[in-house]
Amino acid sequence: MKMRASLIAFLFCALATPSLFSQADAEFAKANQEFAQGHFKEAISGYEALIHSGQWSANVFYDLGNAYFRTGDFGRGILNYERALALERHHPEATANLQIARDEAHALEIQPSSLERYLQFANINQYSVAAATAFWLAIFAMFALILKRRRSARAIAVSICCLLVLVVAMYAIFTLERGTKGQALAVVTGNDVQARLATADTANSVLALPPGSEIKILSTRGDWIYAALPNNLRGWIPAKNAERVRL
Amino acid sequence: MSSEVETSREFTRGLCRGIESLASRTPSAALQPRLRSERRCEVGLNTLQRIFITAFALVAAAQFARADSPSVTAVLSNSETVVGGTLELQIKVTGPGDAQPPEEISVDGLEIHATGQSRQFEIHNFATSSSVTYNYTILPFRAGRFTIPPQTVRAGSKLLRTPELILNVADAPGSSAGARQSRGRQSQSVSAGDLLFAELIVPKKVAYVGEIVPVQIRMGFDPRVRPRLIEPPEITGQGFTAQKLQQSGQTSETINGRPYDVVTYKTAIAAARAGKFEVGPVKGKAQVIVPRARSAPRSRARSPFDLFDLDDPFSDPFFSNPFAQMGERREVDIKSEPVALEVKPLPPSAPPSFSGAIGNFVMTTDAKPKSVQVGDPITVTSAISGRGNFDRVNAPAIEDERGWHKYPPSSKFKQDDEVGISGTKTFETVLSPNEKKQAVPVLAFSYFDPAKEQYVTLRSESIAITVQGGAPATQNVAASQPASASPAPAVAAQSTQKPQDILYQLTDRPATVESFAPLYTRPVFWTVQLVPLLGLIGFAGWKIRRARIDNRERRRFAALQHETSELMHKLRRNAGSPQEYYAEASRVVRLKTALASGSGGIDPNVVDAETAADTFKLDADSRDQLRRLFEQSDEWQYSGAHNGPATISPESRREVLELIKNLK
Repeated sequence: MKMRASLIAFLFCALATPSLFSQADAEFAKANQEFAQGHFKEAISGYEALIHSGQWSANVFYDLGNAYFRTGDFGRGILNYERALALERHHPEATANLQIARDEAHALEIQPSSLERYLQFANINQYSVAAATAFWLAIFAMFALILKRRRSARAIAVSICCLLVLVVAMYAIFTLERGTKGQALAVVTGNDVQARLATADTANSVLALPPGSEIKILSTRGDWIYAALPNNLRGWIPAKNAERVRL
Repeated sequence: MSSEVETSREFTRGLCRGIESLASRTPSAALQPRLRSERRCEVGLNTLQRIFITAFALVAAAQFARADSPSVTAVLSNSETVVGGTLELQIKVTGPGDAQPPEEISVDGLEIHATGQSRQFEIHNFATSSSVTYNYTILPFRAGRFTIPPQTVRAGSKLLRTPELILNVADAPGSSAGARQSRGRQSQSVSAGDLLFAELIVPKKVAYVGEIVPVQIRMGFDPRVRPRLIEPPEITGQGFTAQKLQQSGQTSETINGRPYDVVTYKTAIAAARAGKFEVGPVKGKAQVIVPRARSAPRSRARSPFDLFDLDDPFSDPFFSNPFAQMGERREVDIKSEPVALEVKPLPPSAPPSFSGAIGNFVMTTDAKPKSVQVGDPITVTSAISGRGNFDRVNAPAIEDERGWHKYPPSSKFKQDDEVGISGTKTFETVLSPNEKKQAVPVLAFSYFDPAKEQYVTLRSESIAITVQGGAPATQNVAASQPASASPAPAVAAQSTQKPQDILYQLTDRPATVESFAPLYTRPVFWTVQLVPLLGLIGFAGWKIRRARIDNRERRRFAALQHETSELMHKLRRNAGSPQEYYAEASRVVRLKTALASGSGGIDPNVVDAETAADTFKLDADSRDQLRRLFEQSDEWQYSGAHNGPATISPESRREVLELIKNLK
């Protein structure tokens, strides 16, 4: 009985997935058409619908960013370019348009530390694969060392090298995840946003944040978020005025 | 600052001089005959000792007499001041006994009030001295040169005179002549039978609209009424704003012969419009304890406080013995007199960067970092410090914003006093260069100086910076654009260049859905880890199985070898019957064959002569010998008898042993 239910579910998925993809393709094409005709708000609705249905891809976010840019919403434009780059690190169009949008909005960026800059030669996924490979190689080498009667220098060297690679990869993952482009990265989407010293609109201002400025969310309290700001500052900003890059 | 100090030592001056001259002359007079006698002959030591002792006693007596003589000094805290500026006069009476200072010092144009006294004791070189300092506050009404005449002070039975003091009073900056006449600095009213008073001190008579004027409020209470302030003082009046009152201290003073606990409050006011105002009065409410009213005629003894029978309420015995009769708790209003203040409008033609700041300020500026790329932020920090209305001090204005993008500044204020009139306000402005620049733009801050009665504009010094190139990504975009646009001829053209357009839409969409989640958080990543895990488990199982098999073989070999060596030992001893001997010999051959087969795993029980001969690759003779050995062994084992002799000859044994030894 159970087997039969599983089989039915599998068949349903196998049949439904292509139709879902074809539907998403149609929506994407329609949104692109709206954009080409200058109906940017309709295009935004189309792209947003795709994203809400979980059809995430760097190109969809890039196109959505373009649509927001055309409506003058530089904050959301930059946010979606950042999302496109978060999905696909080397997305040349998104990189170029992000810079243009930042120049237009005078958005502020958080400068990564020099260590983070060095570690960014690979992304988190690549470090994850490297860490997993190094881990298993080290395990196999150590296992062979244990079972063999004679200690092999080659096996010892392989174990040490693999463990070193594992440690470096894990440290890189940890640093990048908590770095300027990590999971806490958010983009200011509101206009005239002021980072303040306390969770009150009347509190003293720390920094004025143009739309599209990068912040790093440190904690959340009610409708306010405490964030690391550009220029090594910290302050509170209303939660409604910023969105995380990673969905 | 200069002060005039004159010392009067009338009582002992002549005596001191006489004793000092005697003390200084006597030893030398005594030494002359001694020196002469040394040259000539001998003089008795007793005479010299007597002279020294006498001199020492005289010096000590002189010192004691000098310490004991009363003296008086008078000193001004400053010999120069301005109209409305307060200063202090101290009359110090040194010597034993009580002194009676002048109750009132009257000088035309000066208001002099006694504010209290303090007593000091000193011990110096075994000589004790005591002194009493009487403090007076002097408030000049008008400018000019004033002479405070010598004052008579009674010290014990002596009458001493203070020196004459000179005070120069200049015009207060910003005050008009007419204003000086009326001197609206303070007012005082004594209420509730002189038990408490309130005093409003406004140092300036004339101010400008928005100018911060410090104000001092003094509230005095007779400590005997055990006062309790139930409503803090409040400055009433219209046309000005007052900052929150800050209590700055509490002192004990004697005013007109009465002791008072004086609490001082500080605040600042700022006029909102031009015109003539009355600041105050200051109002407050306190609770005091006063003696109950008596219906009976006065029959009590006079209080020690009521020396002159002035019907002092404290002459009531309640204050000498509070438990004799219960006092009455009363609420009393405290009120000062208002003070006139003339407020003038600010002069016209204010500079563009003037934001309403009035006072006296200085500005320092810094910028970080000094080396940036085009578009990078530079934080310019401007600190404006001084004295004035900091609530109207805004961020300095940028004189030339061309080529810069300016973000709204942030500010913080650090005050240096209780009321926030003086301090430092720091602004942080983020500037972003749109093009190559050599220096941070000049920042200008303007304020109105009420002392100079003119606007002052402060400008920041040039801060050199290095701005490099354009944004790299922007250049990439420019390169990716169609080559129709002509190359920018100069940097100047860059700033006027039309903003670059974004790139085209992308119409292809990948078939797979991408995820923001890092790979290590996805289930597929951990599922894939099962493959090496299973491989590891398989590898481990195979290794363990191999080890077990190897172990079993090893034990079998060991057992075979052990049995072989034991049988060989028996064969060499030649102790057994022929049946046993041949059985053991054939068994050894079988064991050796099994051992020689190695990993072939031949069971020794199934080994026959041919197998053994093949295993050891024996020649024909050895093969025959081996065959015979197996046949004899079988015969002895299965027939139970043998055709030959019952014993084995030594030659046969040697042959068998040789054969077995050669099996290698």
